[in-house]
Amino acid sequence: MSSNTSLNHLLDVMAGRQEGTVPWLGALREEARTIFAGCGLPTRRVESWKYSDLSRALARAADGSSPTLPAPVLPGTHLALFENGVLNEEKSDLAQIGAVPLRRVLADPSTPFASKIGYVNPQKDHALLNLNTALMEDGLVLHVPAHTTLTTPLYIRFEWEGEEARAPEGRHLRLFILLDEDAEAAIIEAHSGTPGFSTIVTEVRLAPKARLKHIRLDRLGAAARQSAITLGELDTAASYKAFYLSEGGLFSRHEALLNLAEKDAQAELDGIYLVADGRHCDNTTVITHAGPDTASRQAFRGVLAGDSRGVYQGCVRVRPDAQGTDARQMSRTVLLSRQAEIAIKPELEILADNVKCSHGATSGELDTAALFFLRARGVPEAEARALLIEAFLGEVLESIESESLRACAAAAVAEWLSLHAGEIAHVE
Amino acid sequence: MLEIKDLHASVQGKEILKGLSLKVGAGEVHAIMGPNGAGKSTTSYALAGREGYDVTSGDVTFKGEDLLALKPEERAAKGIFLAFQYPLEIPGVSNLTFLKTAVNAQARLRGEPVLDAVQFLRAVRETAKLLNVSEDMLKRPLNVGFSGGEKKRNEVLQMALLKPSLAILDETDSGLDIDALKLVAEGVNKLRAPDRSFLVITHYQRLLDYIVPDYVHILAGGKIVRSGDKSLALRLEEQGYDALIGKAA
Repeated sequence: MSSNTSLNHLLDVMAGRQEGTVPWLGALREEARTIFAGCGLPTRRVESWKYSDLSRALARAADGSSPTLPAPVLPGTHLALFENGVLNEEKSDLAQIGAVPLRRVLADPSTPFASKIGYVNPQKDHALLNLNTALMEDGLVLHVPAHTTLTTPLYIRFEWEGEEARAPEGRHLRLFILLDEDAEAAIIEAHSGTPGFSTIVTEVRLAPKARLKHIRLDRLGAAARQSAITLGELDTAASYKAFYLSEGGLFSRHEALLNLAEKDAQAELDGIYLVADGRHCDNTTVITHAGPDTASRQAFRGVLAGDSRGVYQGCVRVRPDAQGTDARQMSRTVLLSRQAEIAIKPELEILADNVKCSHGATSGELDTAALFFLRARGVPEAEARALLIEAFLGEVLESIESESLRACAAAAVAEWLSLHAGEIAHVE
Repeated sequence: MLEIKDLHASVQGKEILKGLSLKVGAGEVHAIMGPNGAGKSTTSYALAGREGYDVTSGDVTFKGEDLLALKPEERAAKGIFLAFQYPLEIPGVSNLTFLKTAVNAQARLRGEPVLDAVQFLRAVRETAKLLNVSEDMLKRPLNVGFSGGEKKRNEVLQMALLKPSLAILDETDSGLDIDALKLVAEGVNKLRAPDRSFLVITHYQRLLDYIVPDYVHILAGGKIVRSGDKSLALRLEEQGYDALIGKAA
């Protein structure tokens, strides 16, 4: 984004988007714009943005020249295609699954979602969330009625290419996923290409016993700048099971901010990040255990090459009423070069006394003894490294239940390794 | 087959091998015996090309080629096989995947055709049966949860599949009880062939009861101080290193 992703330009565009809106949206945007005007874009002085410098990344001119990978084709899914942040309804297949374009919902003065969009696990002072609320135009609303299982996953594909991907004010999207009692669904997000600046907010509200599987395959170009936020609120015995794969970008961040609001709600997050030379990849999670007997499990594994930078911030908050909480968190990273950097910040904030909470973090190089063992059996160095990295990631990949999705993620890993195993071998 | 001339090698700047010379002909079994710190492991790692085992002078030719100029994987493809004293555990890589990767990688490096999955499985199953390696051991992650004996049998299985022309056995007897030792030795003996040589490195004579060498060398202070036939190992067992090395010096 050119230098005109200035605060003033953003505020002007926000003011423009308040004009002529339906009242409920106007009020929502007004509040968001006011807060954003007060705080501006996040800087490194904000604690949770200490390791990810968005302002610095945005100060550079947008660059769309880096080659990117095509998004995977996933048969057996219903597609929602966003081209440069705009829903292509013709190429999408929303009717069968009951998904509605966000534009239509935002224009409806009496939509039932008026009091819902923007209210999932609210983060009042979150600068980018407010920015997204003030600017969001496109996206999708998916409402699954009680006791309904969507047997076909919704595949939301975001593709960014060319000049349109680099509007100075960026493109800001909102997905709103509402599962009523005992409903079940799976959504897959795939991100490809090079957005100049985009924010994508996914709100997930799960009623009692609702179950959502959420897969993000984030394979943006090297110059991409994107910040995504998944907000979740889980009612009694609801379950959110996620797999996040990210390859970073010039700036790439995903935050999972989940509130396990009621008894027996549970969240499982598995993540893999593969970060090539020159890229930045941030995985931030804040899981709030508010209800009793709630459970969360997180397993993140990262592989960093060249002079890439990775961030994993995992915060677990246990509220006073959340007795019987079971929260586990594990982060492991392999650094393939001396220039690669990982910032790991586990945080536990426990206000109940009968809880099980654990966290662990490791980072290091590939095991040189194992590497020699493989080479001594005739496996070339790059292949030996790839094999060890695949083994390191394998456990997390296996958490993906769907065979086709697991194969898709494994293919992404293999592709990354085939592109970077060679360069890996002669770093150091 | 293998000719080592005046080999000097250091580890972390400290000279361990100080002029090792040795000739191994095709089909011969040579034992290198030595006390702790003599340079036994350094010899095997220097021959296999492990990083950190720096050859400072001397020559090693293998089948007439300069071995020291090759990477570890190239040495393996040329026919060098190092059976590890402590085989590595690699969680997340199944034994079968590992075996297939190694066999095919060597075939590719040699420009030979790669086995398809069916051919490979058949070869593995047949060989595994001969060596008492169970189906379960093939499916488990490489060496993870294997007993000492299972790990060593698995090394022999790798040797059998990779068909090296020179196998270096680095203290293969360590960590094995007598039954496990016999099983491993039996496996090795099955692989003896006129075009395959063995370098058996060991501290104790015991292993040589089962893998009977043509030549025995005593390594001390980084070089071969005495050579003889298998009776040298027996004398060593009777009299101990001090007496024999003292005599040599």
